[in-house]
Amino acid sequence: MTRLFEIAVPEDLRVRACAGEEGARQAIYAAVAPATFSLIRRIVGHTSAAEDVFQDTMMILFERLPEFRREAPLGAWLRQIAVSRCLMYLRSPWRRVRLRLEANDTEAGLASMPVTAALPPELIDVERALAALAPTARAVLWMYEVEGYSHAEIAAAFGRSVSFSKSQLARAHLKVRTWLEPQGSRPTCLLS
Amino acid sequence: MSVELEQEPAVARLLRELPEAAAGPYDFGEFQRRARSRPAGAARMANARALVATAVIAVAVCATATRLGPIGRPLLPHPATAAAQPGEAAVSGNDEAYGERWLSSLPREPALVHVGTRSAVETLEDDIAQVDDLVSAARAGSTPAMGVEPLLAERAQLVNSLVQVRYAESLADVAR
Repeated sequence: MTRLFEIAVPEDLRVRACAGEEGARQAIYAAVAPATFSLIRRIVGHTSAAEDVFQDTMMILFERLPEFRREAPLGAWLRQIAVSRCLMYLRSPWRRVRLRLEANDTEAGLASMPVTAALPPELIDVERALAALAPTARAVLWMYEVEGYSHAEIAAAFGRSVSFSKSQLARAHLKVRTWLEPQGSRPTCLLS
Repeated sequence: MSVELEQEPAVARLLRELPEAAAGPYDFGEFQRRARSRPAGAARMANARALVATAVIAVAVCATATRLGPIGRPLLPHPATAAAQPGEAAVSGNDEAYGERWLSSLPREPALVHVGTRSAVETLEDDIAQVDDLVSAARAGSTPAMGVEPLLAERAQLVNSLVQVRYAESLADVAR
C-alpha cells in the first residue's frame, strides 16, 4: 500500500491545478484522496466524521496549493494538513461530548470499524483492537508505528510532552496485545 | 528482552499490513459538490470570528445582568444591606423573604452526577510517565541539579492519587 507521505505529483500538474484547471485538480485528487482518507479514517475512527475532516483537508489542499514549496513530496505536505485537522477534530468539544456519550459503548466503535471479510484473521483482530482503542491512543499508535512520526513530533502535534506520547504508545500497545491474546472474555463481533 | 518488548514490532508489522480503509473516499464530483455547499476557508474564519465576538458580547451582557440584577426590576434586598436600613421589622421581613426565595431556587432533590474518570486517569498516568523520565535522567546524571528523592516523592504522590481515583471508580461501580 502506498503511504500518503510517499505520493508525489508532477510539478506541471500542480501548476495547472493552481491555475484553476479542473482536469489537473481531478488528477491530483485521484492521486492523493484514497491514502488521505485512509489516514484520516484510521485516526478519527468514524466514517462520517472522517468524511468531514477529509473534505476540510482537501479544500485546504487546493486553497494552499500555490504555497507548496516542493521541499518534500506533496503527500508529505498533505499529511501534515490531514493530521493537523484530525487532531483539531479530536480536541473539539463537540467530539468530547460525543465520546462521553459513547464512553462505555464498545459496540459503537466496533460497528464503525473498516473491516472486510477478506482480511486474514490476525488482521481482523488488529482492526478490532484499533477500533477499541481510545482516539488519542489510536492516533499516537498510528502516527508512530505506521506514519513514522517520532515521539517529539507527536508531542509537538498534540501540544504535549514527549512522555505523553510515550505513555500513550505504551498504553496502546498493551491494549492491542491484550486483544491479540486468545481470551474467552474478549468482546466478539460478527462480520458483515 | 521481555516478551512484551518482543511483541511490539509484531504489532507494528501487523498495523502496516492493514489495507486501506474498506470504504474509500467519494469521487471528485462529490468533493466539488460538497465544497460548493461549504464556505471557503477565509469565509469560515470570518464566520468563526463573528461567532466568537457574538459569544463574548452575550457573556458580557449575562455577566452584567447577573451583577446588577434584571433590568427594570428592583434589586432584591440582601440581608446584609437591609440590616443597614432603619426598622427591625423591615429587616426581619426582608431577611425572611430573601431566605424563602433562596430556598425555592434550590433543586428539590439532590442531584447525583457521575463524572468519568478516564481523563483524570490518563492525565495522572502521563504525569507519572513524565516523572519516570525525569528520574531516569537524574539517575543517569544528565540533570545533576535535580535530586532523585523529590521526584520519587512526587511520583509516590501521583501514584497515590491514581489509587484514590481507581478506588473511587470501584466504589462507584459497586454503587451502580
